[in-house]
Amino acid sequence: MAQKFLPTLTAGLWKRIPPFRLVLGLCPSLAVTMSAENGLGMGVATGFVVMLSSGAISSMRNIIPAKVRIASYIVIIATLVSIVEILMKAYFFPLSEQLGIYIPLIVVNCIVLGRAEGFASKNPPFISMVDGLSVGTGYAISLTLIGSIREILGAGTWFGMPVFGEWFEPMSFLVTAPGAFVTIGTLLALQNLFSRWRGEKFIQG
Amino acid sequence: MSEITRMVVVLSLIAGFCSAALTLANVQLGPKIQEQTDFYVRGPALERLFNKPAKEVLKNKVIIPTETGDVPVFFTREGDKVSALAVEAVGKGGFGGDLKIMVGIDLINERQTGMEVVSHSETPGLGARIEEIAFRRQWNGLPIDEPIAVTADGGIIDSISGASTTSRAAVKGTNEVLDFIRLKKAEILQRIAKL
Repeated sequence: MAQKFLPTLTAGLWKRIPPFRLVLGLCPSLAVTMSAENGLGMGVATGFVVMLSSGAISSMRNIIPAKVRIASYIVIIATLVSIVEILMKAYFFPLSEQLGIYIPLIVVNCIVLGRAEGFASKNPPFISMVDGLSVGTGYAISLTLIGSIREILGAGTWFGMPVFGEWFEPMSFLVTAPGAFVTIGTLLALQNLFSRWRGEKFIQG
Repeated sequence: MSEITRMVVVLSLIAGFCSAALTLANVQLGPKIQEQTDFYVRGPALERLFNKPAKEVLKNKVIIPTETGDVPVFFTREGDKVSALAVEAVGKGGFGGDLKIMVGIDLINERQTGMEVVSHSETPGLGARIEEIAFRRQWNGLPIDEPIAVTADGGIIDSISGASTTSRAAVKGTNEVLDFIRLKKAEILQRIAKL
């Protein structure tokens, strides 16, 4: 257990950082990263759901019959997502308006179900929550990064604060949908180049 | 216990527990969400309808019970007299579900002061254009004693192109407000006076 703790905690930050390494959860990564704030909000909401659902599923892994496990996971995940949605509406209303339909859609985010099926269903609750926390943090970092790049270059601001002077002409292409594909593709390519240069074993997907 | 019974029991237990948790969250945080909606959605709408800062008018609210449910009515005063009302209504039959709109009524000049959309789930780019000022400003200054209609039905409201269902829902909601005012005006003023 102790020797598993550190690798699990750091795995989500590089070894299986979503969406670049896992290449899961791409839909929200493309859709809501118009700004750093949206990216961070979406990442934190997803991370919260991954962590709690991993914990809940892992503590019930011996009770849930194998044949209905996916249905049970979905019920648990959907409940957590709805609670997150209610919490956001109550405390971060403007953000929840911005993210709109993508908050309820965390239910079908493959990262959440992937960690439940791939890790939480085989490991004890504590380590599963650590795994959820690490993958969730990785996701939040990635989305904030994508959002920052798109917002800084596409709108000339970062978390709403202007970063350039008057002379800057924003590339508004980057805050539109095609810009999301270009940004994520470029980041994915850079990360693969870096991994190859470091001689890491190719573990994408 | 046979396998199939076990599956049913476990799944039902999980589902039951989850529903309980959700109900609890909804009941606990419902009022808070209401408050936030007032602040971020109804506030700006009222500001435009009444031409006054939202903070002054958000508290001026009475709930009028009707057969079909409670109707929230906001009001503002000019001196001691109630000068304008904003009535919330449901525009039934939008393309993506019912619309929630708010219609401003100027009691002194007996005119409408505008229509605001509180919430909707219409298609972006089509029905969602109901929020645009070009559509909404058609309500400014309409009389309050006759029902309105879209041009296709012989009225004066230009529909949003490609979204006549949505436009009709907004018109329908407005007509309900006009009926409501005609029937309940005395009761509304009475309730406001009691505050």
